Amino acid sequence: MLLGWQAAGTWGPAHRGIGATPAEVLRAGLGLLASGELLAHALVSLQELALGFVLAVLVGVPLGLAMGRVPRLGHLLDPLVMTGHATPRIALLPVLVLWLGIGVASKAALAFLGAVFPVLVNTLAGVRQLDPLWERAVRAFGGRSVTVLAKVVLPGTLPAVMGGLRLGLGRALIGVIVGEMYVSVAGVGQLLAVYGNAGRTGELLALAGLVGLVSLAGVQACRAAEARLGPWRRGPAP
Amino acid sequence: MPSRSEPVRSSRREAVVLGLTGLALAVGGWEAAARLSLVNPVVLASPVRVGAALARQWSRGELGSDLAWSGAEFALGFGLAAVVGIVVGLAMGAWRGVELALDPFVWFLYATPLVALHPLLVVWVGFGFPVAVTLAFLLAVIPIVVNTLGAVRAADPVLVRAVRAFGGSRRAVATKVVLPGSLPLVLAGLRLAAGRALVGVVVGEMFGANAGLGFRMTLYGARLRTADALAPVVLLALLGVVVTQGLRLLEARLGRWRPP
Repeated sequence: MLLGWQAAGTWGPAHRGIGATPAEVLRAGLGLLASGELLAHALVSLQELALGFVLAVLVGVPLGLAMGRVPRLGHLLDPLVMTGHATPRIALLPVLVLWLGIGVASKAALAFLGAVFPVLVNTLAGVRQLDPLWERAVRAFGGRSVTVLAKVVLPGTLPAVMGGLRLGLGRALIGVIVGEMYVSVAGVGQLLAVYGNAGRTGELLALAGLVGLVSLAGVQACRAAEARLGPWRRGPAP
Repeated sequence: MPSRSEPVRSSRREAVVLGLTGLALAVGGWEAAARLSLVNPVVLASPVRVGAALARQWSRGELGSDLAWSGAEFALGFGLAAVVGIVVGLAMGAWRGVELALDPFVWFLYATPLVALHPLLVVWVGFGFPVAVTLAFLLAVIPIVVNTLGAVRAADPVLVRAVRAFGGSRRAVATKVVLPGSLPLVLAGLRLAAGRALVGVVVGEMFGANAGLGFRMTLYGARLRTADALAPVVLLALLGVVVTQGLRLLEARLGRWRPP
């Protein structure tokens, strides 16, 4: 596929400006890296991503556990969560920029909104599908609520939570990139918009490839954490 | 058995009442924050203002035409993705050669953050309607292919062997076991894809479009008219809920014959 791409760009119909050959992409990527431009912007984007994603986990997981364990709370918040989950949160971007400005905060907020719903909904689903027998067993042997939480709820929901984190990370990344493309002072998304508008396909594809690598690395890290946290579990998570 | 069904019904009623309370609290809290000027009401807007903006934009006819525009983009992108995704997924599941040939492309699309390719797509297909449809299609097609392929792979081997044992052809295996069995996973893929297609439509309209809900909210956002910018968002939320719930109902209806 790569060879075909290079050949098409060199001799074929994919004329300049619209396509870029792999060699051009590589050269452009190295150029960005060498000038130090990329690193500075990538750091800003990573900071936004980390801020939004960590906040989403800190809110989504406990809230999901609480909603699952306290049915009344679950009923109270269910319609709100489902509406938020079904809404394309990207649509809030113009309003978020009005509220939080064009800096780091609005992108972190968009990343947070993108990630928190998958994390929350997956955690909730994980708690709700727990086998009630396990809890009864702990209770029958005199275990208290804390024991149930530690021995049944947390380990039992882990695969669902990790699935939510994986999904959420992707959403957070999309939020950061689109937020920076929309309006920003720095970040990989801003670079994407700048090079895209300038028609510099080589740089554009190099940046897109970089974002892809980051998302792949994040997903792999989630998988590794999952395997570490639950070595007793057999088979892949649902 | 009234003694058994009574608690179920009352708990369902409780769920509805509590859910409505939650919604009312959220909307009321937002309105109160704006009324009491806890936050600058011009920036925050409020449910009443957003409602007024909705009514105003609707009576001017712009909201209706934007909804139709975005709806057409969504329908086209999602519809194409559903047809292509299911056909490709089934073909990949049926023939090993097809799977090996298409696997790299699927994973390429899966791993690439497609919104980052937005500027390039604009160059390729053009601003506005085409790029929104393309982005919606590309974002939606992946979960459909992956889920359909997974569903074909998950076909119960015992059932397949049973059909074969009674002299069933490959075709019989496909129509009697694989297709009905894959329905739930395929529908789940469609549900995931619908949300992503909506994101594609919005992102496609946010940059350089001249119609659609995404365009309208960007326009008003840039003019610091928060309530007007939030009105299309409310419609998008509604669209998302309707599509997701519709697919969920379809899922429940088509899966009724299945033993629980």
